[in-house]
Amino acid sequence: MKSSAGWVVALAGCAAAACSVVLVLTSDVASGGVGEPLVLALLSSWITLAYVLCGLIAWMRRPGSRFGALMIAAGFANFLTGLSWITSDVPFTIGQALDLLPPVLFLHVFLAYPSGRLQGRFERGLIVTAYSTAIGLQLVAMALGGFGPNNLLEVAPDAGAGLAVMRIQLAAVSAFCLCGLGILVARRWREGRPLRRSLALLIDAFALGLVMIAFLLLSYAFGAPVVAEIRWATFATLGLAPVAFLIGLLHDRLARSAVGDLFLELRAEPAPTDLRNALARALRDPSLTLAYWLPEFGSYADHEGQPLELTNSAGRRAVRLIDRDGARVAALLHDPALNDEPELLAAVTAAAGIALENARLNVELRARVEELRGSRARIVEAGHRERQRLERNLHDGAQHRLVALSLQLSLLEEQLAGDSSATGQLEQARGEIETSLEELREIAQGIHPAVVTGHGLAVAVEQLAARALVPVCLRIEDEGRLPEAVEVAAYYLISEALANVGKYAQASLATVEVARNNGQIRIEVIDDGIGGADSERGSGLRGLADRVENLGGRLRVWSPRDGGTRVRAEIPCA
Amino acid sequence: MRVVIAEDGVLLREGLAQLLTARGFEVVGSCDTADRLLLLVRSYSPDVAIVDIRLPPTHTDEGLRAALEIRAHHPTVGVLVLSQYVEVGLAMKLLADSAEGVGYLLKNRINNLKEFLAAVRRVADGGSAIDPIIISTLLAKRRRDDPLDELTPREREILMLMAEGRSNQGIADRLVITLRGVERHVSTIFGKLGLPSTGTESRRVLAVLLYLRS
Repeated sequence: MKSSAGWVVALAGCAAAACSVVLVLTSDVASGGVGEPLVLALLSSWITLAYVLCGLIAWMRRPGSRFGALMIAAGFANFLTGLSWITSDVPFTIGQALDLLPPVLFLHVFLAYPSGRLQGRFERGLIVTAYSTAIGLQLVAMALGGFGPNNLLEVAPDAGAGLAVMRIQLAAVSAFCLCGLGILVARRWREGRPLRRSLALLIDAFALGLVMIAFLLLSYAFGAPVVAEIRWATFATLGLAPVAFLIGLLHDRLARSAVGDLFLELRAEPAPTDLRNALARALRDPSLTLAYWLPEFGSYADHEGQPLELTNSAGRRAVRLIDRDGARVAALLHDPALNDEPELLAAVTAAAGIALENARLNVELRARVEELRGSRARIVEAGHRERQRLERNLHDGAQHRLVALSLQLSLLEEQLAGDSSATGQLEQARGEIETSLEELREIAQGIHPAVVTGHGLAVAVEQLAARALVPVCLRIEDEGRLPEAVEVAAYYLISEALANVGKYAQASLATVEVARNNGQIRIEVIDDGIGGADSERGSGLRGLADRVENLGGRLRVWSPRDGGTRVRAEIPCA
Repeated sequence: MRVVIAEDGVLLREGLAQLLTARGFEVVGSCDTADRLLLLVRSYSPDVAIVDIRLPPTHTDEGLRAALEIRAHHPTVGVLVLSQYVEVGLAMKLLADSAEGVGYLLKNRINNLKEFLAAVRRVADGGSAIDPIIISTLLAKRRRDDPLDELTPREREILMLMAEGRSNQGIADRLVITLRGVERHVSTIFGKLGLPSTGTESRRVLAVLLYLRS
């Protein structure tokens, strides 16, 4: 919009506002029971002026949006209804015909914020119906008469029918306003996250305006006595919306200075979480989400490196993509109202460029660690399954067959009872089988501790304690089975720790404790030996730490010189 | 002597049944699941049930659970559990508070027919049969101020056989010494360990195992 056109509109708005005052003061509405004429005149011209000027500001800031134009239209429509205060025929008829247009325009303005467009069929249908009711039924009512001698449209006077149509019309328009209120409330509820403060204020002002309009119209429809005061209150409330709009603008202007603060914060090279918070502060949008682009994964991720879908989180969020040197770095999911301030968004994203790139690398690293963790878990799990399968195959396959074979030899021996050379050979064969069975058992045992998966940790640990090279005191809380992976990890941990005690600690006693509390299991192996164990000693402990961390737990070792050794693992388990 | 067998390996199950029948046992039923085993035990009240520790469907602890259930609800039926592995913890779980009519042997023991059949008979008669590996593991267990150190090699040998569930006569036959000699050794052992030397052979087994385990 050219600035000259802007000046014209502004002057027209001022003129219209002045006109309203003059119109009211010179008309005879005071005798019509509308109330103190001056108050009414000032309120009415205030609305005209506020909507026209705020509409103008909105239009100049975002020429592409219809919102400013809508506000200006609402302001002038408000002025036009004032024409009905003139007792001359033509202006009276025009003013009277447009009498209910402003409420619908206000409704339209409130619903169309901030883009100027209505969302969805329901909202469009609502507004179209509201316009037709406001204008169409008004014309019908005027045709039926009852508006006094200046009504040019009166064709078939029927005062009773006219009043009925008018009541229906008022009730309908107030119902539309309440629908609009419902839509605003639903939007705010659906948003589900903290709105920007200025936006929240605006929506509250809108909602209040709609309530007041509906209340006023219903009072008219049912002829309530306090109409004058309600009218003042409604006008005053409607005048609040542009004020809220201006406050929002002022906030945004202050926000620009926040970019300066952002620069300072960025110099401290913030971690990804702090970076998001700094941006949220600078943009005054607590709901801001920062999504980093990870080219290797072909997806966005949050600051933890967890995958994030832009499309899912969009909906009523606006997305701004941030590129650097032609490569995608990140995306901002922000409040759509921020689109009103393209300069602020541009300034903030430009300021955060390097920090974002750093944070993106950081996040990429985390995502890779996350991926590695997953693949390590899969490898361990696959290894475990494979060992379990091997063990079972050995026991239930080879071992069974050997035992059965030995049985057959025994039966054969029965039949050959007299033949001493044959029975001797059979005896020798059975000896061979015996040896094979023993070897097989040891191999299978080494491959997978079947007793753990079969009977649980508490049962299995007893054997470890019996075979340990130092006396072992067991304190096992046996409250049912734990997840298999946890039990197997705990078993290997205790086995390795006890072996270490036997080999290095020169201890006289070891204690094994397994306790469950607060959703985690704590496994501790303590000895009273010489201490001084370090994790370099054997790869055993390192491997155990892997196993424990793999389950989301952690392993710690305390081993002061001459102070014994304490190995503690804590593994989460629900 | 009436026997039921629960074993999911068909070769072994049929072989055992054939062998036991040939040796004069009456195999009144054989099956491959824990549920069928419990049904057989209820229907036939056998003298002894021979149970594989791993039975379908999961091949983890179905056999052991069935054995414990028989022990709890059919005290007159002896239970001999056969396992691919022997573990102290499992033995203690199976025995719980009595060694009467219970056995826990490595499957490999079937290889030595004479010993195996003797174990089946002992369990059927209300005695015990504990795998030697369990006993030797417990004997080797480290203790502070171990009283076992005071035992002579012969006494250790007798303690071991005693813990397996053998009778004094059985021990005497095995070591080729007199019954009186065994009795003398036994009372010396109990004296050295500070155990009261009263009760049946299976009580003796439990006492010795609990002692060794502690």
